[in-house]
Amino acid sequence: MTTFVVRSPGPQNLMASANHSSQAPNIHHSSLNPSPLRRSGTTSRRIRALADRGAAVIVWVGGLATILSIMGIFIYLLLEVVSLFLHSESSEQTSFSIDTTGSNHFDSLAIGIDEYQEIAYVLYQGQLGFYDLATSQLRPSPGMVSVSKTPITAIGRASGRNHHIAMGTQDGRVLFLMVQFRSVFENGVRTIVPSFSMGDPIEIDTDQSPITKIACQPSDEGITIAIVTKAGKIWVAKIEEAGGLLSENETMVRRMELHTPDATTVSTLLLDQLGETLFLGTHDGRLVHWDLQDIENPQLLSTTHIGHTKDSITSLAYLIGDRTIILGTQSGTVSAWMPMHTSNTESGTQLTKVRDFVTHPGAITAISPSKRDKGFVTADDQGHVFLHHSTAAQTILAFHGYESPIQDLVFAPKANGLVTLDAQQQLTRYALDNPHPEITMNTLFTPVLYEGYDQPAHIWQSSSGSDDFEPKFGMWPLIFGTLKGTMYAMLLAVPLAVMGAIYTAMFMSRELRAIVKPVIEIMAALPSVVLGFLAGLWFAPLLEEIFPALLAMSVTIPLSVMAACLGWQYVPKSLQARQRWGLDLVILMIVLVGTISVCLSSNHIIESWWFDGNYKEWLLTVFGFQYDQRNALVISFAMGFAVIPIIFSISEDSLSNVPKHLLSGSLALGATPWQTLTKLVLVSASPGIFSALMIGFGRAVGETMIVLMATGNTPIMEWSIFNGFRTLSANIAVEMPEAPHGGTLYRVLFLAGLLLFTFTFSINTIAEIIRQRLRAKYSQY
Amino acid sequence: MIAGLLLLIMANGLGFFWPKALVQLSLNDGTQVLGQMNAKEMIPYSNTPDAPEGKHRIQLKVGNRDLYGLDFRWIDEDAIQARSYPKDAVFVERREWGNFFGKILEVRKGSTVLASGSQSGWNALQPLVHHANEIHETIQHVETDVIGEINYEMEDIRLQLRGLNLTEHPDDQEKHSLNAQLETLQSIYEKEAETLRTLYDSLRDYSVVFIDANGQAQSLPVGQIIRVLHPNQMPWHEKALVYLSNIWMVLSEEPREANTEGGIFPAIFGTIMMVLMMSIAVVPFGILAAIYLNEYAHQGILVRFVRIAVNNLAGVPSIVFGVFGLGFFVYAVGGTLDTLFFPESLPTPTFGTGGLLWASLTLALMTVPVVIVATEEGLSAVPREYREGSLGLGATKLETLLRVVIPCAMPGILTGLILAISRATGEVAPLMLTGVVKLAPSLPLDSYFPFLHIDRKFMHLGFHIYDVGFQSPNVEAAKPMVYVTTLVLVAIVVILNLTAVALRNRMRRKYSGSTV
Repeated sequence: MTTFVVRSPGPQNLMASANHSSQAPNIHHSSLNPSPLRRSGTTSRRIRALADRGAAVIVWVGGLATILSIMGIFIYLLLEVVSLFLHSESSEQTSFSIDTTGSNHFDSLAIGIDEYQEIAYVLYQGQLGFYDLATSQLRPSPGMVSVSKTPITAIGRASGRNHHIAMGTQDGRVLFLMVQFRSVFENGVRTIVPSFSMGDPIEIDTDQSPITKIACQPSDEGITIAIVTKAGKIWVAKIEEAGGLLSENETMVRRMELHTPDATTVSTLLLDQLGETLFLGTHDGRLVHWDLQDIENPQLLSTTHIGHTKDSITSLAYLIGDRTIILGTQSGTVSAWMPMHTSNTESGTQLTKVRDFVTHPGAITAISPSKRDKGFVTADDQGHVFLHHSTAAQTILAFHGYESPIQDLVFAPKANGLVTLDAQQQLTRYALDNPHPEITMNTLFTPVLYEGYDQPAHIWQSSSGSDDFEPKFGMWPLIFGTLKGTMYAMLLAVPLAVMGAIYTAMFMSRELRAIVKPVIEIMAALPSVVLGFLAGLWFAPLLEEIFPALLAMSVTIPLSVMAACLGWQYVPKSLQARQRWGLDLVILMIVLVGTISVCLSSNHIIESWWFDGNYKEWLLTVFGFQYDQRNALVISFAMGFAVIPIIFSISEDSLSNVPKHLLSGSLALGATPWQTLTKLVLVSASPGIFSALMIGFGRAVGETMIVLMATGNTPIMEWSIFNGFRTLSANIAVEMPEAPHGGTLYRVLFLAGLLLFTFTFSINTIAEIIRQRLRAKYSQY
Repeated sequence: MIAGLLLLIMANGLGFFWPKALVQLSLNDGTQVLGQMNAKEMIPYSNTPDAPEGKHRIQLKVGNRDLYGLDFRWIDEDAIQARSYPKDAVFVERREWGNFFGKILEVRKGSTVLASGSQSGWNALQPLVHHANEIHETIQHVETDVIGEINYEMEDIRLQLRGLNLTEHPDDQEKHSLNAQLETLQSIYEKEAETLRTLYDSLRDYSVVFIDANGQAQSLPVGQIIRVLHPNQMPWHEKALVYLSNIWMVLSEEPREANTEGGIFPAIFGTIMMVLMMSIAVVPFGILAAIYLNEYAHQGILVRFVRIAVNNLAGVPSIVFGVFGLGFFVYAVGGTLDTLFFPESLPTPTFGTGGLLWASLTLALMTVPVVIVATEEGLSAVPREYREGSLGLGATKLETLLRVVIPCAMPGILTGLILAISRATGEVAPLMLTGVVKLAPSLPLDSYFPFLHIDRKFMHLGFHIYDVGFQSPNVEAAKPMVYVTTLVLVAIVVILNLTAVALRNRMRRKYSGSTV
């Protein structure tokens, strides 16, 4: 089909040759049908008919396929985005009873799981057992190991990547346990090898009272622990060892007793990752905050009441990053608390409740934060497990377990599964498919209270250097940036382009028009990367320098042009007649160039007269505007330059398509050219001009390279013309190359693409429909 | 405005090649500066409010980045005592560290001095530089052709080995023979690497000692030098020759120094390859779709709707097509192709990463609406009588189409294609996502089977502008390069557009002449 010979015979010749071919069948072979030259008439006709039908099929299939595949773009984008909002799924994978003689100490057990969810360990009654989750069997090695001879009365699990566990015994001593999972590769097959190590028992309180609560946290400097004893004492201690954590070396214990709150009321303890902050939850609904930076001189920072009811705090956990505390109570409420700035307290911050999650039917027994994001799981004493996400303020999933109180649960290290142990010693593993927990319509389009902020805000910040960063996917700053850039560009482009089109269509001589139109078309074809480069590297620094002159120009140019027009009236008629050769334009150009050069040369004078010698400072002090070198003003010129030719061409077309007889009629009836223009031409061409504006708007919205190169790409929401912004399109260009395939950022960027697509597509459709209506209207005349 | 813009680009781009005179300035503080005048401006009032009014300062390109750390220096005119144009000042183009401006002190071989003094040093240096450039050519040949071929074969054998291991019962004998081949290749490789080493050593045999304006000496191996010129002694026709050779170098050489020096040939080549592949993809589909819409489909409300939709796709931002290309072509299609056909090289992706093919297809998708619209316009401009006449005379629909309608609509179709090409040439945003890189290690076309490597990443003029102008560490020094690249790109686009305009005018004239 595509290999036809390019010939350009005149149509008359074509007619002749078609005529000829119908009479002489021997030259009928088309490129598809290289049949032998001489055939009988019927065979030739059959072949021709066959070729014709074949070609029709090819055209049908090829044409439809092309059109469908173009439509497919939209569907594909939509599919990629939709999975952001799909519900998470889970399936229970294994559930089996661990063999035990029966234990009823809720606190004195702990479970854990490796990264690949192959092996779980259970620590209860002083025994540590490793279970193979695939076979539901106790692993032969190391098997069931006894870790303590004295009964264990309290267990505290440290947060962080490693499995550090502190155990408090009945005789008031503290034992440390560290579980490790190593991946061993052999012949390309991965096996997980569990191991554990124990430290020596350490005595904190000398009266050997049983430990009822314990929390521990290892850090670079040693292990921080907090314990509550049956004798009614609260101790904090820092254990430092000369040669490694679990070695036989001399250990140094520095300890201090805390007297607030009353030890008998303490229900739960929480240490942060550095071991410098301690929270104590009480049975009467108080949260006591201690600063342990100097362990020998702990500071009581605050006591917070969590609500009206004297609800017991049963469980506390830090989300990754140690900023948000998740608090679970006896009545089953789950809430997120953050330190917020306030002037009421001495430290300047106050722990404030920021979010409530779905309430459990029973008392909260365990909370386990994700190590990947701001998600966490909670469990209650009725066997329910809920999965929440803090930033998104949503409860994603709920499981209903076996109605037996859940004693402990852990979120798998990759946040793709969880393990629970209930009172009937049933170890249950759930697999989770929860790829985009942080995305809801609310996190994308409404203000969200992020960690470290005092007010809900629209923020776009998709990545950062640290692991515990809270990604912020507010789309509004980008949409705002897109609209801001577009608006400033249109502000400059619309008057210039429309006026230019009116002048070209109505008043310009035919010879000039024949030059102007192709020039404008070439202007439209200038690659945007060229415009962006010139705007960023040449115009932005120039503008920074000549800004006062530019301001002056915005006043002097219209004035001088008007003066020139007035002056033209007094030019002798004989000279005016030369308008056809563009004499008036030449004079106008001279006036323009003159004004501009006067303004430029007096740049310094203007700056010192109007702006006290430094316009940037002047802007800052008088209006509070910060002047950035790459700002919206630069964009308005550069993008205006890109949009002008589009608006110009389409409006010029619609203006010159106004039927000539209407024009002549109007003029003949005595209307002046100006009246004809405003009362007749503009009115009848207005839908065309409108559609030109829409199409120009669509182009400005999607423009990528200019914005990318000539703004600072800062996603802020300020209307000031002197600072930059970030648009949807530039954001895609900046972040897409680094977005991992299938991840949340990847799909959110697809959403940005989809927004751009729907926006421009619908705007263009409206414009197109208007134009078609217009065409139909004028075809009547 | 357009003309002004083009002039600006041209002045900045073309001026860069002219060998400017080297000026030596004696400053008030007794130091000397040697360099090329780059710009002159009024001292900005806002920077230094206490500076005297109406004074100027000069931006001097001082070069010698290894000595001074900076390429450019601003000098207040007030601080200059005297200017001179020393005849023996040399301009040295180097392979690293940018240019050097200074005077020749002596030429050495090892530690023995061969020639000293400006003039005799100059005479001694010329053949040496010529010889060094020849050695560089040999090195280039050994590195790319000889060693490149060995590497290519070795990689091929390694992949075969991995492929064998992936099968259920690897053939031990075949493995052995492959391993043996690998070893022979390895030994050849080592021999070639040895020759390469001796070649590199020979580059360091001779060295030149230059002194800068203040008499600070700097020794350079001759192998580092590309060219030595005496710009202050050269008559204008010699300068013109240098000027032309400079332009030729930029157009034909590969980039150096993080793309800020050397040439832009790979970018030009990549752009052309991409546009060619895009045209191959876009022409049949665009034209088929247009013929379908205009000649075969029933002209109802559905076709009208499709036509509007196709029209509007031309207005959808290019970055959206880039996103689609990345998601669909690169990850979905490319990823599948990799697992099906290239399992031995995984996890290194073959087609599952941006490349020439995907970039071309993405751009083809983007420009298909342009071609459809233009072709349809061309088709509908063919008078109805022609078709009816042809059909009435007994020709089939296909024959009418091929012999009457399409030849008449040819200018329209070509206009569409040219517009599509010109749009694709200047487009950067979608390419950034689908396969353009700042520095491609090899061209997508070479002498190894299958010759055209559509999976390779490539360089592009537009992206080159963005990268060199905005991501390079030394933007000021890179500016001329960006202007040159811009000039080339704009020239291509403008020429294509002028062709389209001329074609369209011809088409219009033809119809206005024949139908009335």
